[in-house]
Amino acid sequence: MKNPAHLLPSTRREFLHYGARGIGLLAFSRFAPGFLIESAHAQAPAPEKDRSILVLVQLAGGNDGLNTVVPFADPHYRRLRPTLGLPANQLLKLNDTLALHASCTALHGLFKDGQLGIVQNVGYPNPNRSHFRSTEIWETGSDSNETLPTGWLGRFFDNACTGTPKGGDPCGVNISNEVPQSFLSAQQHPTFSLPAGRNRRQQAENLTLLEQMVQNPAGHDDHDNAGYLRHTMMDALVTEKKFQKVLANYQTTASYPGTPFAGSLRNVAALIAAGTATRVYYVSLGGFDTHNNQLNTHANLLKTLSEGLAAFQADLVAKKLDSQVLTMTFSEFGRRPSENESRGTDHGTAAPLFVMGSRLKPGLHGTAPSLDVARNQDLQYSTDFRAVYSTVLDQWLGCKSQAILGADYKPLGFV
Amino acid sequence: MSPTSPLLTPTEAWQPLPAADWNEAAARHLLQRIGFSATPAELSRVLADGPVRSVERYFAHMPAFPKPSLIAKLEADGPELYRRAANGSAQEKRLAQQAARERSREAIFDLTIKWLQFASRPEHSPAEKWLLFLSDVWVVGIDKVRNAALIHQHQDYIRKFALGSAPNLAKLMSRSPAMITYLDLQQSKPEAPNENFARELFELFTLGEGNYTENDIKQAARAFTGYRQRQGEFVFARRQHDNGRKTVFGQSGAFTGDDVIDLVFKQKAAGTFLPRQMVGFYLSEEPLPVEQTATLGAWWAGTGHDLRKLAVKFFTSRVFFDPRYRGGYIKSPVQFYLGLLQDLDLSVAPLPRQLIGSLRSMGQTPYDPPNVRGWVGGRSWINSATLAARRQVIQALLHPLNEDQLNGDEQIELAAAYADGVTNFTLDETRLAQWAKLPPADRARELVHRHVPGLAGTELERQLTRFLERSARHTAAEAATRAGLATLLESPNYQLC
Repeated sequence: MKNPAHLLPSTRREFLHYGARGIGLLAFSRFAPGFLIESAHAQAPAPEKDRSILVLVQLAGGNDGLNTVVPFADPHYRRLRPTLGLPANQLLKLNDTLALHASCTALHGLFKDGQLGIVQNVGYPNPNRSHFRSTEIWETGSDSNETLPTGWLGRFFDNACTGTPKGGDPCGVNISNEVPQSFLSAQQHPTFSLPAGRNRRQQAENLTLLEQMVQNPAGHDDHDNAGYLRHTMMDALVTEKKFQKVLANYQTTASYPGTPFAGSLRNVAALIAAGTATRVYYVSLGGFDTHNNQLNTHANLLKTLSEGLAAFQADLVAKKLDSQVLTMTFSEFGRRPSENESRGTDHGTAAPLFVMGSRLKPGLHGTAPSLDVARNQDLQYSTDFRAVYSTVLDQWLGCKSQAILGADYKPLGFV
Repeated sequence: MSPTSPLLTPTEAWQPLPAADWNEAAARHLLQRIGFSATPAELSRVLADGPVRSVERYFAHMPAFPKPSLIAKLEADGPELYRRAANGSAQEKRLAQQAARERSREAIFDLTIKWLQFASRPEHSPAEKWLLFLSDVWVVGIDKVRNAALIHQHQDYIRKFALGSAPNLAKLMSRSPAMITYLDLQQSKPEAPNENFARELFELFTLGEGNYTENDIKQAARAFTGYRQRQGEFVFARRQHDNGRKTVFGQSGAFTGDDVIDLVFKQKAAGTFLPRQMVGFYLSEEPLPVEQTATLGAWWAGTGHDLRKLAVKFFTSRVFFDPRYRGGYIKSPVQFYLGLLQDLDLSVAPLPRQLIGSLRSMGQTPYDPPNVRGWVGGRSWINSATLAARRQVIQALLHPLNEDQLNGDEQIELAAAYADGVTNFTLDETRLAQWAKLPPADRARELVHRHVPGLAGTELERQLTRFLERSARHTAAEAATRAGLATLLESPNYQLC
C-alpha cells in the first residue's frame, strides 16, 4: 500500500494510464463504468461557459411563509398571529406592505442588489397537508390526485442527459439524507449523494478503505454478481474520489458560516468551480415543521438559510460563476395563517419561495395571498408550483417543459 | 468449495443434505437465504437442530400478524367513505375521495412499518420472507388497488394458504378483492370477458409462458366472469357469469373459475413453475438445469402441490446447499434493510417518511411493485443510485437520530416508541464504545465476525485492521470504529449473501 490516496483513478486519463500498467480492475467491458462507454463525441470540449446550473434547496417540514415574507401592514396578519406576529419595526422592508424576517439580513441585501427574487403564494389545487404526500407532489410535479413514478428532475434527466455527461460526472448531485424523489427517472442516469456538511479528512480515509475492499475483495469473487457489484461500485467511487479531491482542495475567499447547510453549499460551489458537468444540485435543510414555540426555532432556521445562501452567492460572484447558477428554494407547504394554541403553526398550503442568481429578474413575482381568511382557514394559492418549474425548465435549463410537466404553464418571467 | 463442483444428478439434487456436509457455513447459508440474516442465537440453534428440524420449525405454521390499527380503522370507516365517494354531490364526492386516498396512504405506511417490524424478528423471518416470495408471485399493487385495507386482506389471504395447498391458494387469490380490482375482473362479463386475470394466472402466477394458448386464455376468461368485489367482500354475480361451455387445455365443460384452476394444476408446467420462481427468489438468478426442476416438479405434483412440503424439500436439499450457489446472491432492498437491522440489533423506527423514502430510493417500495410481474430482482437492484441509497441507509443507522430535524408527527411516534421501551433505532453507542476499547486487530476481527462472518480471517479483515490503525493517529477510536463498520457494510461483500 505505497500510496493509498491513489489507488483508484479519478479521471479518465488516470484510468487509462493505470489500465495500461495492468492495474486492470476496470478492464471488463461487460460492466464498464459509465465513463468508459460514453460516445466518442463526448470527448469534445463541453460548452462549459453556456451550461446553466440549478441548485434546488428543500426546506423540509413546511416553511412558515407568512413569517418569512411578512405582510406586516395587513391588519389580518395581526389578527391571525396575536403572539407570533413579528413587530414591524424589526422587519426588513421589501416595499410598503411586505418585509423579510429579521433573520434574513443577508437575503435582504441580495434583494436590494438585484440578486434575489421572491415568487409569492406558490401552491397547487386541492392541497394535501401530509408532509409525505405533499413533498411527493412537489417532487414529482403531479396533480394532487395522481401519483407519478418519476420526479420532475428525473424526467429532465431523461430528456436532457443522453448517455453519461462528460467524464462520467453525475446528472444530479444531492446533499440530503435520501436520494430525492425529484431525481427518480424512467431511464438510468448517474446521480450522486454526498453527506451533508463540510468534507472532513475522515471521509477521505473511509473512501480509501472502501476502495480497497472493492479492489481486493475477499471471497465470493468467482461469482458474476460480485464482479457486477464491484464494477458498479467502482464507477461510483471514481466519481466520489474525484469529488473528494475537489472538495478537499477547494479554495475560497467567501466566508461560509459554520452550519452543515452552509458546508453543503460550499461543497456545491466547489463542484461547480471545478467544472463538473452536473447541472442539478439538491440540498436539503430540515426542521421547518414548527408546531410549537416556533419564534426562536424559525428565526434560527431562517438565519441558517439566509446566511448560507448569501455566502454561496458571494462565492459564486467572486469566482465569476454567478451567471451560470440559479438557486431556488421550495417547501412541501406553507403553514396555517392562524397560529395554534402552542405558539406554533400547523400544516398549511401556499407559501413564497426564493430564487437567487445574477441573471434573474429580481423583486417580487406573482401576487401576495389574501389574508382575509377565517380562523384555521388556509391560504388560496395564486401561482402553481409547476409554473415555477416550467419557467426554470424553459428559460433556464433550456428544456421543453411540456415534455417534463405534461402541460403548458404560463412562464413567470423571473428569469 | 468450488463453483466447479460436479453437477448433481436430478435425483441427488433433491436428496436431503448429508449430515457430513452440515456445518456452520451451511447453517449460515440457510439462515441468510431462508430469512434475512444469520443472528448468533438462531445460528447456534439451527446448527444444533440440523436443517430438517430447523426448516420444519420455521414452517410449522405462519405466525399470526396482528392487524395494524390504521388498517382496522380504514376497514371500519372505509365503506361509508367509499359510499360517499361514489354517491354524494360533486363536492362531497371530491372530499370523500380525497379523504379515502389519505386514509389509505396512512394505512399503507402503518402496514409497511408493522410488517417490517414483525418480519425483523428472527423467529418470524423465514415465514415472512416466504410470504414476501408468494406476494411477489401473486402480485397486486397499491398504485391500482388504491385501498390499503384490500392490500392487507390480500396478504392475509396468502398467509392463510402459504403453507397449504397451492390450488387452494390460487382459488382464494381469484376471490381476493385486491386481485379482482388489480387485474380487472370487476368489469368482466359474458358479453366482454376481460382477459387480464386469466392471462396473468397462466403466465405469471401458475404456468409460465409457452404452456397455454391464446385460446386457452380467451376461454378461461369466460370462466372468471361474474367475479366481483363489493366493499372488500367477494361476490359471485351469477347473472354476470358465462355459464356456457368452454374448452381449456383441450378439456371441455361449463367450467367455473375453480374448475379452470383445477385444470391448471393438472398441467405438468404447474409442478415446475413455482419451484423455478423459488430458485430465482432464493437461490440464483441462473435457473437450475431443467432436469433438476422437472424431477422436483413431478414430486411436488405428487404431493397435491403442498406448499409446506415444497418448502421443506427445497430448503433441506443438496442442491440448495450446493457450493456453487453460495455467497453470490444480491440482497433485495428489503433483505438488505432487515438483515442490517438484525446484524446491528436494531428495531424498525416508526418513521414512515425516512423508511419508505429509503426503501424507495433503494428500489423496492413494499406493496408498490413496478408492475404485475413484481420485482425483477438480482442485478436490477444495483446501479449507482441504489448503491448510494444503500450507503445512506447505513449512515443513517450508524449515527444517532437528529431529532430536531424530524417533523412533529414523527417526534410523536418516536416518543410513543420510547414510552414502550423501544429505543434501539440506531447503533448502540455503548456497544460502539466497548468495541472502541479493543486494539485495532481485535476490533476488526469482532466487526467482521459479527457482520460478515463468512469473511473472517480474510484480506478484508486485514484491510479493516490497517484502517483502524491508521485512523488511531488522528481520529477518536469511536469515530474510526463507526467509519470502519460503515465501510464494511458498504462493501460489495455485504451486498451479497
